[in-house]
Amino acid sequence: MLLGGNPEALKDWAAGRETGRMLGYATVIFAGAGLYGAAMGYWRSPLQAGYNLLKFPLVILATAFGNALLNGMLAPLFGLNVRFRQSLMLVLMSFTIAAVVLGSFAPIVFFIIWNAPSLAGQTQVPWATYNFVQLTQVVIIAFAGTAANLRLLRLLQALSGSERVAHKVLFSWLAGNLFLGSQLCWILRPFIGSPGLPVEFLRPNAFQGNFYETVFHAISHLLSS
Amino acid sequence: MNDPNPAPPVIPTTMPSGQPAVSSAQPPPGANPEERAPIPNFAAAIEAILRQPRRVMYQLRQPRPGRLIAAMVFVSILCSLIYGIVVGTFSGGPQLWIAPAKIAAGLCVSALICLPSLYIFACLSGSQARLVEVVGLVAGLLMLMTVLLIGFAPVAWVFSQSTESVAAMGALHLVFWLISVSFGLRFLKAGFAHYNPAGDGLKVWIVIFLLVMVQMTTALRPIVGTADTFLPQEKKFFVSHWMECLKTGK
Repeated sequence: MLLGGNPEALKDWAAGRETGRMLGYATVIFAGAGLYGAAMGYWRSPLQAGYNLLKFPLVILATAFGNALLNGMLAPLFGLNVRFRQSLMLVLMSFTIAAVVLGSFAPIVFFIIWNAPSLAGQTQVPWATYNFVQLTQVVIIAFAGTAANLRLLRLLQALSGSERVAHKVLFSWLAGNLFLGSQLCWILRPFIGSPGLPVEFLRPNAFQGNFYETVFHAISHLLSS
Repeated sequence: MNDPNPAPPVIPTTMPSGQPAVSSAQPPPGANPEERAPIPNFAAAIEAILRQPRRVMYQLRQPRPGRLIAAMVFVSILCSLIYGIVVGTFSGGPQLWIAPAKIAAGLCVSALICLPSLYIFACLSGSQARLVEVVGLVAGLLMLMTVLLIGFAPVAWVFSQSTESVAAMGALHLVFWLISVSFGLRFLKAGFAHYNPAGDGLKVWIVIFLLVMVQMTTALRPIVGTADTFLPQEKKFFVSHWMECLKTGK
C-alpha cells in the first residue's frame, strides 16, 4: 500500500492515531535501513556492518523525531492544515518507503561488496574501491529518497488540494530534514569507514566540529591552495 | 482566556471615514464562522496562530482583547526562555540562565522600543488600527516567532553539542531567528492588510524592527559564548561585532 502510494488510501493512514502503525513504521525502518547499512559497512569489516545495523536506522528515526515539531509547525504555516501527529506520520511514511527501497537494495549491495576487492590482506589502501563503494551508496540512497519524496508529494497534493502548497511543504520539510540528517550522519560517522582509520561505533571526535563547518573549511582550503 | 461569548459582535467592515476597512482581496477576519471561535487558553492561542491566524486577528478586533494579548506575550516569554536554555547549552554553566534571561528581555525590550513607531507609521499611512490592535499584532508576531524557535530547538541543540565555534553557532541561531521572524512578520502584514494599508510605512518599520533586534543581540552579548561580565563593557555596532567574530572564528 505504501509503495503503491495511492493518495486516497494513504490519507486515512496519515490521519489515524494508531500507535501500532507508528511502531510498524519504526520496525520497517529498522529492518530496511539496518540491512542496507549493514551491507554498506560490510566492505570495511563485519563489525562495521554490525554497527551500521543500528546506526543507519537511528539517523533516520532521529531526523524524523528531531524535526517533528518544526515540520508540524511549518505545514499549517504553508497552508496545509494537518495536525502535529499527522505531519509526523507523513514524514515517517516517506522514510518507511525509503527504508523499504533501501532494504530491497541490500542484497545487491552485498553482492557488489562481495565482488569488490576486499580490504583485508591488501598492502595498499584500495582508494578506488572505497570511492566506488561511496558512489554506489550515494546513487542508491538518492534513488530511495527520490522515490519516497515523490510519493510524499502526491500525498501532500491530495491532502492540500494544491500543488503549490504541497511543493512548499515538501521543500520546507526536505530542507529541515536534510539539514539535521546531515549533521546526525556526521555525529554517527563512520558508516563505510575510511580504510586508513580504525573500525569504531563513533569517532572519538564525534561531537567536535560539524558537517557544514567541515565543508566550509574544505572549500576554503581548496580556494586558497 | 478571551471573551467567553462564542459569537461576539462583528466589527463593521466600513469605517467612519467611508473608506473600506478591508483593502485586501480576502474577506475581513470573522467572515468564516470558524474564525469567530474564542481563544480560551494558551494552547488554543498557539494552535490559532499556526493554523488560523485570521482567528487571532478577529479576536484582536473584538472589545477587550487584553487577555488574548497577555496570553500571547506570556507564551512568547516562555518560549524564548526555553529556546534560551537551548542556546545556553552551548557554553553551559551560568549561560544556562543568562542566555534565556537575555533573549527574553531582549525580545520584550525590542518590541517595546519599536511599538510606538509602528503605531505612528500605521496612523501616518492611514491605517485604522487601534493601539490595542497594534499591540496585539506585535504580540502575535512575537508568539509565532518564538513558537517556531521552539520547533528549531532540537536542531539547535544537536549543533550546539557538536561545535566549538561561537561564530558558527551564532550564525545558525541567526538563520533560525530570521526564518522565524519572517513568518511572524507575515502575520503582522496580513493583520495590517485588513485595516487600511499601512503601505511603505510598514516596510520601513520592519527594517527598523529587524535592525533593533540584531543590535539587541550585540548590546546584550555574549548570548552564545561566555564573558567575565553579564553585559559588555564596550559599545559596538552589530556589523563590527559580527566581523570581529568572523575574523577570530570564535
